Amino acid sequence: MTSAPRPPLGRSLLRLFTVQGSWNYERLQGIGVGVAEEPLLRDLQAAGNGAAYRAAVARGAHFFNAHPYLCGLAVGAAARAEHEGATPNQVERLRSALCGPLGSLGDRLVWAGWLPVTSGLALIGVALGLGMGAILGFLVVYNVGHVALRWWALRAGWAHGVRVAAALHQPFLQRAAAWSGPAMALVVGAALPLSTGYLAAGFTGWARGLLFGAAAAGCPLLWWGRGRLTGLRYGLALLAVAALAGWVWR
Amino acid sequence: MMIARPIVAGSVAGAILGDLATGLQLGVLFELFQYDVMPMGAVRYPEYGPATVAAVSTAHAAAGTLGLGLGALVGLVTGMLGGMSMSVVRRATARAVQAVAGRLEAGDAHLLVRLHVTAIARDALRAAAVTTAGLGLAQVVRVYFAGTLPLRGVTLLGVAAVAAAIAAATAGTLRVVGRGANLGWFVAGIAGGTVLAWLR
Repeated sequence: MTSAPRPPLGRSLLRLFTVQGSWNYERLQGIGVGVAEEPLLRDLQAAGNGAAYRAAVARGAHFFNAHPYLCGLAVGAAARAEHEGATPNQVERLRSALCGPLGSLGDRLVWAGWLPVTSGLALIGVALGLGMGAILGFLVVYNVGHVALRWWALRAGWAHGVRVAAALHQPFLQRAAAWSGPAMALVVGAALPLSTGYLAAGFTGWARGLLFGAAAAGCPLLWWGRGRLTGLRYGLALLAVAALAGWVWR
Repeated sequence: MMIARPIVAGSVAGAILGDLATGLQLGVLFELFQYDVMPMGAVRYPEYGPATVAAVSTAHAAAGTLGLGLGALVGLVTGMLGGMSMSVVRRATARAVQAVAGRLEAGDAHLLVRLHVTAIARDALRAAAVTTAGLGLAQVVRVYFAGTLPLRGVTLLGVAAVAAAIAAATAGTLRVVGRGANLGWFVAGIAGGTVLAWLR
């Protein structure tokens, strides 16, 4: 077992910000995760003529996929396991076991929680006339939560090693996951009519009626046609119809 | 860091052009389209950041609400190009990984870092190319398309853009909210927002 009294967690965290940069269909996030884990493995270079270090670096870059903000948990845990002399099989199993839970927790907490809540608040702010202040507020508030989550994940992974599952049962995570859904629904719900009012301010009379009609028709179409009809396709189709109608209706 | 989020990219592009109002307007519009997207796993999705920049560039030339529809047209096409190009880059990175798989298995840390940095540079080039294509498209639309539509036609384009954005955001949010208890919170939010919008 090799001791690592002061792991370079800061360097690993900086590399974790780029974890998606080498995303590919071969190893998904594997390369980025391997790059982020590498600084935590340098202590192993002295042991066994560097063989342990090289083997750990190779394992770190294997297939991996989870939420990018929680990858640090796997990075820290796998690096700690390597230092504690876990077998290659144990490290591989640990990484595989973390993919699903970290992906689903991150999606619930961030993609379906923190991000829409903060961007919804920014939309409300812009609609209420806060202008650039709303955008700056979004960037600051969102990133405070974002960086804190990444840092917590990396530290928790390093602290727990192979017993990292305990970190996922932290009460604050459970509370945040429970609150993220209602908060997102409430904030985005409020942002929708305010954004509509803001964007439709320049339209009057028939244009407003048409707008609400087309939006109301689009919701069920997109709901039932999901998988085939996306917002982008609906937008392009509607714009094509509008351009044609505008050209005909002179 | 979410600096490429539409609401941020749009307002920054607008501020650079000295037209913050248009930047915010297009930023809000494409932020609504963004709610239709859940960036999970290997799913391919439109890239609305560069799209918003191209949209703002288009709309800046046409005054106020008139530019909304033309901007959305350019932005949506650019977003689609962005999504497709992301797939191409991911395949190129996969090929690069396959080509050095043996050395990666031998634990070559320098190679690993080089591979990662090259992939980031490749993605940066892709983003720059998409933005350039979007700005080129904006120029084409401004020169050849903007003048040919009557006022009513331009208004129709704007109406279509806003209606599609609202529909996309509502359907996308409902997909995440589901039919459980959160639906009540969503309805409460809509009610609160409607009251607030009416009071303004």
